[in-house]
Amino acid sequence: MNTIINQLFEIEKKALEQNFTGLERNLKRIYNELEEKGYKIINPLGTNYDERDSSIDANILNSNSKKITKVIRPTIYKTENDTLQLVQKAVVIVE
Amino acid sequence: MKNINIGIDLGTTNSGIAKYENGKISIYKNPVGFKDTIPSVVSFRKGRIQIGEKAREHSATNAENVFSSFKRKMGSDEMYFIKDLNENRSPIDLSSMVLNELINFAQGESLRSAVITIPASFDTIQSNATKKAGYQAGFEEIVLLQEPIAACLAYSNSLNLEVASDKKWLVYDFGGGTFDIALVNINERDLKVFDHKGNNFLGGVDLDTLFVEKIICPKIEKQTQENNLWSKLISKENPVYNKLFFELLYKAEEAKKELSIKETSSIEIDFDELEISLDIDISRKEFEFIIQPKFEESFHLVEKLIKENFLSFSDIERIILVGGTTYIPYIRQQLQERTQIQVETNLDPTTAVMIGAAYYAGSKPSELSDEEIVNEPAAEDNSIQVETIYEPHSKDSEELIVILLEESFDGYYRITRADGGFDTGLLKANKKIAEFVPLLEKTTNQFTLFLFNNQQKQVYSNSNIQITNGLYSILGQPIPNDICLELDEETGKSHMEVIFKKNDILPLKKTIYKTCSKNILRNSDQKLIINVVEGNAGSMVGSNLSIGYIEISGSSFEQDLLKGMDIELNFKVSESRDLSIDVYISALDLEISEVFNPHQRKISIEKLALEIKNALDTILEEIRTEEQSENYEYLAKLKRSQESLTVLYNEALENKNDALTDKKYQIDELKKIYIQEFDDLVRHKHILFELEEYNNMKDSLSFYLEKGSPRQKEEYEKITKNEKEFLQSNNKYLIRKKKKELENLLDNIYANQDESYIEYFYYFRLEDPNAFKDKSKHSKLIQLGERAIDNSNLMELKTICHQLYNLLIIKPKRKDDFNTFDGNLGIK
Repeated sequence: MNTIINQLFEIEKKALEQNFTGLERNLKRIYNELEEKGYKIINPLGTNYDERDSSIDANILNSNSKKITKVIRPTIYKTENDTLQLVQKAVVIVE
Repeated sequence: MKNINIGIDLGTTNSGIAKYENGKISIYKNPVGFKDTIPSVVSFRKGRIQIGEKAREHSATNAENVFSSFKRKMGSDEMYFIKDLNENRSPIDLSSMVLNELINFAQGESLRSAVITIPASFDTIQSNATKKAGYQAGFEEIVLLQEPIAACLAYSNSLNLEVASDKKWLVYDFGGGTFDIALVNINERDLKVFDHKGNNFLGGVDLDTLFVEKIICPKIEKQTQENNLWSKLISKENPVYNKLFFELLYKAEEAKKELSIKETSSIEIDFDELEISLDIDISRKEFEFIIQPKFEESFHLVEKLIKENFLSFSDIERIILVGGTTYIPYIRQQLQERTQIQVETNLDPTTAVMIGAAYYAGSKPSELSDEEIVNEPAAEDNSIQVETIYEPHSKDSEELIVILLEESFDGYYRITRADGGFDTGLLKANKKIAEFVPLLEKTTNQFTLFLFNNQQKQVYSNSNIQITNGLYSILGQPIPNDICLELDEETGKSHMEVIFKKNDILPLKKTIYKTCSKNILRNSDQKLIINVVEGNAGSMVGSNLSIGYIEISGSSFEQDLLKGMDIELNFKVSESRDLSIDVYISALDLEISEVFNPHQRKISIEKLALEIKNALDTILEEIRTEEQSENYEYLAKLKRSQESLTVLYNEALENKNDALTDKKYQIDELKKIYIQEFDDLVRHKHILFELEEYNNMKDSLSFYLEKGSPRQKEEYEKITKNEKEFLQSNNKYLIRKKKKELENLLDNIYANQDESYIEYFYYFRLEDPNAFKDKSKHSKLIQLGERAIDNSNLMELKTICHQLYNLLIIKPKRKDDFNTFDGNLGIK
């Protein structure tokens, strides 16, 4: 499922970059279904990088880098037996 | 006497820990994240000590504070200066920190003895240094084991190999950062490394950078204006190129993994800063071509080792693979083809060493006395006075945890979140600790506080720090009743589905997806009705207050709205209780948004009349069934309800065109009161009826469930998951819905059973012969069917049923055709 979510994330990213709004609802619908199935998908783009955040694998560009400027794949949590568990770390670039 | 049971692979690049228990090996997972191993990296930054993945993140930009590959310096007098502490640390100190981190994987267990692996090349001083690191990490007993031996043990134990005579195996260990080979002698009594070689600067990471340099860069240059891309990527001059380098390195690693399974892979590069947007296709052949020199380097060492020991490849029985790089098919093939030796590929090469170490530990008796050894709950010092202060409910994305410690405590603290997404690392503890922790939205975030002494040994833990975000909070105001959407249940009947539950905290929002339950033709005056009511989800629709009402008429459609089309509904309730409804029908690309305020009610007199009519129908049905039981008092009450609602119904019809007065509001008010009275009268009885129906259905299903497929059994679990909750909900619609789900499941299981054809056959047997295309064929088939039943020949009966079905002029409705009813509202 992680691969499917990553592809979905790519599709969303491309649509956004190309200002293509036609997919918005379909993507929202799919994300909604995934949420119903217990997945929590987090896109940390634009947030300040917290070095304590172990749901993220960061590539830090220089020692005073703070902001997450690119997300190559998102964080995915899944609810198993009523508790959330990390199933994929985000891969990000911090600059 | 107990055995040691714990095995540790303390690697140059990665480390891991495993346990032997009842003949099986289990690998301890990293509780933060989900991996089997951690990078052997330690960082010291701004008072924070991090070990593993988070430490490695800073290695490129903050190299002076990040320490790795210290295993290579074990036993030397080299010291690492830690700027943050203004102190020196030895390779032993850093190794013991990695070991302590591994001990944390086994949360709650006290580990006192362990087998730790060392390279075959380690001399006595290096070996003793490793032992010292183990003792420093708190182990009381350390047994060392050479890595190649551990790998051989992992294979021989996992494959249950019986080695009767002397054999020679070659261990080929191509890890993330180092390459080692060893020749091992194995017989029924023992395993012994008799020679080894290695290269400390050859590993999988080198292959990734080669991938970027030799494959990706030339391809980018070919398709863009870029030149000298590789040198730009690795120079520190332009940070934009460094950013691209990270991205390419990540993608190269992913593609490398994919090429181990597939013949081709593609990389997509979308990099705005340099206006690079392209797809690169890479074949396995290309990858193999660039890694060939690295493989040759490794193979050259293999040949040299064999030659120096006056052996030939035919003297070696198997090659044991260790390290992630050996996943690459090219490496496996080349080894096999060029040596003609059997290459073992059955185990995960990344965990083979720790698994072997655990097997060894499982057979090695501990010299500690019984009460001292492993797997007892960790002894914690409960005498430490710790006060933890935090807000258990929060609407914010982070929350403060304050920890007050007794003055005398000297050591470190660490806070982790149970889902694996947060870890402070080790921080020096003060008397008062204040840590802002991030919260995942709309869930209960469980944190654990650990205290460690200065030797990094855990002395205290508290995993009961729970902070709930957004679910309920003293700060928000709860809604007093359920907010529900009215949906068609079957022709002429509707039910309510809860959108927001009573006591949910404002503001609220939710998106739900429904389907259209009737055809609404364009330009017709047919309507789709969205009715949102506030009240008790288990009562009759009409007894509740309508708080949002939208009619969408066919006259506004550009196309027909057909049954089964999707309807997207977005609901929002603000803190001031405004209800917004957005309806979107994708097939028509039609979007309608309305906001309803509590003081501006919208009432449709037609809808009112319909609700009264539905209630009257239900009352009439109830009176008919109750008349038999001669319960006169109850009947009298029912009739009173009937009379009042009949009067109201007529009034509604009379005032159909009244657009001026408040009459419709008065009718609406009375309608709610009357229907509520009736609902109170019958609800309990109806719920009991639905409960009985549900239980009967469950009983019938229990007989057939074991004949169901695993998927059907899984569906059963899903339907009955929150059984207690929905059976006690006092909501007959919910119980009925669950019963219907069970009924569908039962039908599906039953339909697959051979005996179900007897029932089908009697259906055809009792059908009018005129309903079949060919009467004489029908009659013949009926005779054959009866004979098949007499002879218990269900296979033949099955064929006969299929033939009879094909003869039917009008096919009977399927059981699940109830879904195709025409609804009043148009939404279900």
